[in-house]
Amino acid sequence: MRSTMAMTVVLVMALAGCSVSDEDPARRPAGSGPVTIRVPADAATISAAVGAARPGDLVLVSPGVYREKVRITRPGVTLRGADRNKVVIDGEGKRSDGVVVTAAGVSVENLTVTRHLFNGVLVTGMTDESGTGIGRGSDGYQTLDPKRFPPVRDFAVRYVTASNNGLYGIYAFDATAGVIEDNYASGGADSGFYVGQCKPCDTVVRRNVAERNAVGFENANASGGLYVVGNRFTANRVGLTIASNYQEALIPQQQSVVAGNLIGYNDQQSSPAHAEGGFGIGVGISGGRDNLIARNRIAGNPAAGVVLASAEDLAPLGNRVLGNTLEGNGLDVAYAASARAPGERNCFDGNSPATEAPAGLLAAAPCPAGNAKGPGVPYPQLRQPGGLSFLEVPAPPDQPGMPDPARMPAQVKVLPPSQAEIDSLPVPDAALFADRAGASR
Amino acid sequence: MNVPRRSLLAGALGVAGLAGCQASGTFVPARAITHTGGTQAGIDRPAPQPHADLGVFDVTGRPGQVLGGLGDLVLALTSGSHPRLAGLPPGDLTVTVGAGPRLVSAVDPELPGAVDLPVFEREAITHPCRGGDLMVQVRGTDQLAVSLASAALSTVDGVQLRWRQRGFHAERNLLGFLDGTENPRGPEELASEVWLAGPGRVAGGTIAVIRRLRLDLAGFAALPVTRQEEIIGRRRADGEPLSGGGTVSLAAKSADGEYLIPPTAHVRRAHRLATGSGMMLRQGYSYDNGWDDRGLLFISYQRDLRTFTATQHRMDEGDDLMAFTTCTASGTFLVLPGFGPGAPLGGTLF
Repeated sequence: MRSTMAMTVVLVMALAGCSVSDEDPARRPAGSGPVTIRVPADAATISAAVGAARPGDLVLVSPGVYREKVRITRPGVTLRGADRNKVVIDGEGKRSDGVVVTAAGVSVENLTVTRHLFNGVLVTGMTDESGTGIGRGSDGYQTLDPKRFPPVRDFAVRYVTASNNGLYGIYAFDATAGVIEDNYASGGADSGFYVGQCKPCDTVVRRNVAERNAVGFENANASGGLYVVGNRFTANRVGLTIASNYQEALIPQQQSVVAGNLIGYNDQQSSPAHAEGGFGIGVGISGGRDNLIARNRIAGNPAAGVVLASAEDLAPLGNRVLGNTLEGNGLDVAYAASARAPGERNCFDGNSPATEAPAGLLAAAPCPAGNAKGPGVPYPQLRQPGGLSFLEVPAPPDQPGMPDPARMPAQVKVLPPSQAEIDSLPVPDAALFADRAGASR
Repeated sequence: MNVPRRSLLAGALGVAGLAGCQASGTFVPARAITHTGGTQAGIDRPAPQPHADLGVFDVTGRPGQVLGGLGDLVLALTSGSHPRLAGLPPGDLTVTVGAGPRLVSAVDPELPGAVDLPVFEREAITHPCRGGDLMVQVRGTDQLAVSLASAALSTVDGVQLRWRQRGFHAERNLLGFLDGTENPRGPEELASEVWLAGPGRVAGGTIAVIRRLRLDLAGFAALPVTRQEEIIGRRRADGEPLSGGGTVSLAAKSADGEYLIPPTAHVRRAHRLATGSGMMLRQGYSYDNGWDDRGLLFISYQRDLRTFTATQHRMDEGDDLMAFTTCTASGTFLVLPGFGPGAPLGGTLF
């Protein structure tokens, strides 16, 4: 149902910027070093607890429904739920974001963020005068100036369930040196996970599940040291996109790694619509450069498994598609660069036998030389069914929580996978994380 | 002289000045227009007048000589001293002159303005209506003065007419919508988006793009207004973007994931953020050539030709409005730096 009501709500709420005041009383337990601040025992609200926290502190949240927008503006704080499925930050379809991180060394863990107009969790160095993070939203769009707003460093989002959020489930832009792991995102009207506007990103995205989003995982202008490995991106409308986007800073996109993921069956009706009409696509690269797509299982996407296309006047250049299992896609590989931005040096090796367009593409473009400069052909596009409101997308199944949340030490820094580790990643089984998925496929 | 006329109108002038670039059809300049200086008149001063007469010519004579003579003629016409104005006060008459890529590239192929436009979709352009060496744009509130000045300018030695188009400026275009609104305003934006800062021989110039777009008015008018608004991306009544809130938001979506400004709407496809372009100063005029040829004489000024070409390519690749347009004339011209006594028109180049 297309709703102008929703828009009205979005606009009104963006102006109101509802949140619980940081000035609610909070008792930070005494201690010489880092302490644990318990919610609600020491602080009635999560906002009050993170407002009282000092670097190294753990804010540990007991089960309950928390109706507040949490802003973490102090460095080195870990926000953690005691029970991933029972600690719920609920935007009630009226607050903008669940958790907004604008300070270095912050970790958000083991809780659920749901029903926000924009984002479940937002990590960004782009702030307004009050230090509040600015995310893309219906209240307009401000282009990032990376010199004015340097990226926020050292972040972690793990064991978070982000469902039914209107823009992105988990969103990191203008952020670097981070890890996004063991999360679940569904019902995003844009994408479940989004990493954008970082160069270098030095960020690892692993063991996550995205389903019933318009797009499972999006990369826009995220370049260098970005590793998307071992995730399940299934039952969205589009599985994963990598794009150069003029609307955002740090164009063009280059050098990310997408390896060992299951990217399949992305033709889900019970999701918000894809605003540009994308449907039935596994991996779409538009105007991206020098990306590695390796040993993924890309299956059952009824339009196309992998699409290489241009973005405006930016060609797909030097992308490598290696050792993937491609099966049951409408077309396994499509090279669709435009005549005005013809790509080159895109190469293919070691993939399973694949259907392709144009004919002979894979044989003519082995690595490392890749394809000769030239345009491709249009790929088959499917007409998408109408979308579901992000608030009406089915709730996720319970997700596995992090082990021993009361005692697990805080950890932000994560080493990126080595080349050898990437090279040894297996093609995942078709059942990868099937037990965490709610959609039948 | 025209002084008494200006003082008569003085009461209305303050209002027009406050209204700024949102020109109504009855704009009258608050001050005499400066025709000399670093930049030519007719771009940032005054706001678009109600009448325009644009001619595109080949230059058959020596460019330096032709342009020098043309500049003298412009000053004589706009000062009211030329007999071809038949004693009429020139009022806010302006004449703006640009040189085509053939002339500019012969001076230096690296200069702004040396590169021609590519061919775009939906063009039906006969040979004389593509390109050209010289653009002469005459504008004014007094249609008679515009006509007489245009007549005088068309008969200078060493030029040959390729095509000509008269136009009229109103608040709305022939589709019934308020005309493009996101223009650079004020000296700072004009300096950063429109005027060329260098190289020295083109400083104070700008890159003009001229496109005559025949519109399928019958086809467009046959659509329900709601569909027309989806094609444009704005409401017809007041120009409000379909994203609401007064300014265009490309990101705004409905709860079910659809863009509030549709993916193929004109304001989305033509939005500068989507191509990483600078801003264009757009000063289009409607035209009426009778029978079945009416439309938009698109005129834009920008520092960089890519601002136009990247936008037009993006429109060609998915702007629903394009189906209602046919381009029948096209050209790009380096608007020459300002000129005056002792600094002849085109003197830095030819």
